[in-house]
Amino acid sequence: MVSDLLMRLRALLQRKAVESELDDELRFHFDQQVDKLVHSGLPPAEARRRARLVFGGSDQIKEECREARGIHFLETCAQDIRYGIRMLYRNAGFTIVAVLTLALGIGVNVVAFTTFKVFFDRPLDARDPGKMVNLALVLHSGDVGARFSYPDYEALRDRLHSFRGLIASNGDTSLTLSGAGGSVSQKSSADGSLAGKLGLLSSSSSNKEFAATRIVSENYFSVLGIAPLRGRIFGDVAELAASPEVLISENYWQRRFGGDPALLGQTIRLNGVAFTIVGITPHDFAGTDFDVPDFWLPLSLEPLLHPDSHLLSDRETHSCRLFARLAPGVRIDQAQAEMNLLAGHLTALHDTHSDWGKPATALLWPGSPFPIPLNRLRAEAKYGALLIMLAVGMVLVIACANVASLQLARATSRKSEMSMRLSLGASRRRLVRQLLTENALLGLLAGAVALLCSWILMKALASVVAEAFPVQYGTVIFHVTPDLGIFAYVFAISLAAGILFGLAPALESSRTAVSPALKANPGTSPARSRRLHNVFIAAQVAVALALMIAASMLLHSSIHAFQVDRGYDKQVVDLTLKFAEGPKYTADRKGALVRELRTRLAAMPGVAAITNANAPVYGYRQAAVSLNGEVPLAQSQRAFIDYTYVQANYFQTLGIPLLFGRKFQSPAGQPEPSVILSESAAKRLWPGENPIGGSLRLGTDGQFHRKNDLVPDGPPYQVIGVTGDTRGATFDGSDSYLVYLQLPEDRLQDYPILVRTADPKQFMPAIHPLISSIDPDLEVDSETFEEMLRVSATFFLPSSAAAIASPVGLIGLLLAAMGIYGTVSYIVVLRTREVGIRMALGAPKRAILGLMLQQCMRPVLAGLLAGMFLAVGASYLLRGALHGLHTVDGISFAGVSFLFAAVALLAAYLPSRRAMDVDPMVALRYE
Amino acid sequence: MSGQTVDLPQGTLDLLILRTLALGPQHGWAVSERIHQVSSKVLQVRQGSLYPALHRLERAGWIKAHWGTSENNRRAKYYELTRSGRKQLAADQNEWRKLTAAVDQILAPS
Repeated sequence: MVSDLLMRLRALLQRKAVESELDDELRFHFDQQVDKLVHSGLPPAEARRRARLVFGGSDQIKEECREARGIHFLETCAQDIRYGIRMLYRNAGFTIVAVLTLALGIGVNVVAFTTFKVFFDRPLDARDPGKMVNLALVLHSGDVGARFSYPDYEALRDRLHSFRGLIASNGDTSLTLSGAGGSVSQKSSADGSLAGKLGLLSSSSSNKEFAATRIVSENYFSVLGIAPLRGRIFGDVAELAASPEVLISENYWQRRFGGDPALLGQTIRLNGVAFTIVGITPHDFAGTDFDVPDFWLPLSLEPLLHPDSHLLSDRETHSCRLFARLAPGVRIDQAQAEMNLLAGHLTALHDTHSDWGKPATALLWPGSPFPIPLNRLRAEAKYGALLIMLAVGMVLVIACANVASLQLARATSRKSEMSMRLSLGASRRRLVRQLLTENALLGLLAGAVALLCSWILMKALASVVAEAFPVQYGTVIFHVTPDLGIFAYVFAISLAAGILFGLAPALESSRTAVSPALKANPGTSPARSRRLHNVFIAAQVAVALALMIAASMLLHSSIHAFQVDRGYDKQVVDLTLKFAEGPKYTADRKGALVRELRTRLAAMPGVAAITNANAPVYGYRQAAVSLNGEVPLAQSQRAFIDYTYVQANYFQTLGIPLLFGRKFQSPAGQPEPSVILSESAAKRLWPGENPIGGSLRLGTDGQFHRKNDLVPDGPPYQVIGVTGDTRGATFDGSDSYLVYLQLPEDRLQDYPILVRTADPKQFMPAIHPLISSIDPDLEVDSETFEEMLRVSATFFLPSSAAAIASPVGLIGLLLAAMGIYGTVSYIVVLRTREVGIRMALGAPKRAILGLMLQQCMRPVLAGLLAGMFLAVGASYLLRGALHGLHTVDGISFAGVSFLFAAVALLAAYLPSRRAMDVDPMVALRYE
Repeated sequence: MSGQTVDLPQGTLDLLILRTLALGPQHGWAVSERIHQVSSKVLQVRQGSLYPALHRLERAGWIKAHWGTSENNRRAKYYELTRSGRKQLAADQNEWRKLTAAVDQILAPS
């Protein structure tokens, strides 16, 4: 052991001395041999010759001695690395292409991995976050109930002993901000931000300034262990009641107030209530959420903001997410067991009909802003994440396959180098190791480039995300500090990639170097490696094609969603009035304001018609429908159909045609007990019959509606007319089945005002001054139907999914084209002799080109076919998000496939031309 | 060199080197000459095998090397057995005897 170590150390540290000793020793032996032969009577020259014959190659002996001494490992490693670097430098073109290809593959993986980590596997923003846990109940229905009512929070907080502190976060609300000095124009900030430009934000304009405010329990900051940057955190409940306090985030302080130090201690108004700013929370502090709000408010002051809601006392209002810090020495399963005991107690306090009134079990998991534990994600979400990871992983595999192709092609040109090294005494193992070292170097280099690039990319992304939303939406925090985990991930991938793609070509080239069979037959390509190439290419094409087709279908669908005829005029303007809560606005006062506003609006130039109703965009409430006067029960109902309340002039204002029958009578006291049906609803309820004069009853029992909503339960309604269908932003188009009821005149104030004008662009800027002149406290949002549709999920979801899928697909296409190019170049080189013979025998150049292209396009076609099958599967999965398209979208399929075939053909054509330039004489003489 | 030489069976070279060095420190050339002579010129150790074997044995700690002066006054590297080399030699010899005896028994005409 010791002698072994000493020898290795000496070999390493005194390499020169050891080498010269080896020289001396072997020369001594040689001289002795010569002496002996001279003594036996040979002339010295002949003696030397004989001795040299016996001795053999001294370099080979030395190499074996080095190996025997154990010098080799570290030393030859260093040698391999030196040699590898030299080779990579000499073949700069190859190195750059290979490194960039790999870096692209690795970079895509790093970005995906980091993003996943940032969103799903993110700890709470707290001191010692490992001690924090999320609290939820697994309800009777199997759903995870992560939002508790405030009374439930109090019960848990006061009764559980496993925790050192239990906090509640009521989530973000948008409050009006006033008295802050200066003002940020909300409209312009929405336009100026990235999210605004992408159309992610509602472009509705408002006459007020808003601020994103998070309402949290008073102990929030102390339990998280966060000290304020300046000032102090909330006082106790009694102090707060005496003088309302608010904390401001550092991010908002900088973005809205330019870091004005005088802000501390000033008073601002949120929803008209005065609050004193007592502290500034640290930069980027997001607490239990993904984003930094503008203000932090204590829960006990919530009633000041919303006097009409009863959040603090209503046990059925589930709005608080709960987080806790484990008491020292308590394990998470012990805490869960304790909370389980209390779950039964909570259940007993709830309405027995509600989901929360049925038996439930406690669920605790390590603290994270993500609202459910990852293993309870819905199957679709898991499947989606898996698909993305698979696609991203495939990009890496494609990149590796490409580099392997490049290597394989290069192995041919390095054949002479390999045989030279073999005949100089290198063992085959040594050659393989040298090539592996070279590839590992390449992998590391690519890893370093990828890490650097993705780091820069993520940094840029983070600052884009941070500025993406206008200041009244808070600041999204996208932490991208490259942690050790991510670094290890890149490192492992790049090394594994280096070894992985290095292995096959290493064996291949050492085989070509030693195998006499190949030496004798260098003009043809080995069928085995070509098959491998073909599989690589087919797989690349298939995956990239499937991604691109999916992206194209999503894009197509979002364009379609936008262009489709909705059955109404999309330029109608929606004015939604928001009355402040509290005693100021009684129903009568609201009604009077709406009537006054309508009169004033009607006097404005270009205004053609005004009505009050919900916009036909976001869908309606549903009711069970029964015919022939029966009460709608589970067994007697004909269908669940949407209903909406409208005024008599609704159809004319929105441009919806009345197909037959008549409209509602103009208002005079109580609305008439009659309904108008959409065409689809009429066909569904009275298939093949005339619905006019028919009678139906509606039942909303068990359907969602708010406390003071108008409900159509009760008397039978007579059908008086049928109108054209309309369609809003629902995915399935179920809102085409619609029952119109007449809106009572005393409920106008509960519905938005819809205005048909000649030119909305001229009309909209004039609204805010008008409203300020009527009632400066009134808050109003104005938006055209078209703008509302643009931010709806049917438009936005497919387009953002396409935004993710298309770059990945494009990268795939690029890599596939590079792979095809490399492989074809390789085949052309390998088959030079064959082409030479064919040409010598009289084959025309066109035939040669045809042969090459045919050879290359076969795997491409196989890949296209496989990719289409994959895409059919993908479109089946996406069918919910695809708006108004058939499962197989012909344009996307044909268009993208054609694009792929063209790119592949081009990639194959360029190197194939070289085969045509082969001079038969040169090709054959080459032997 | 001549038709009389026999190839060494695998693994016996180490035994021969250790046995030869048991007589006293020697340089590599002397070891090969001695094996050649003692075996009545039947066994010829090639340099290509001898020196790697010497270095391997040195690394195993069974022999150690030092530089000395040869009979014709040249610097030469001498190898000698260490204590663990002696033990190894005894064990190897024992094993070899058992092996050859067994092989002889099988080959002997019954």
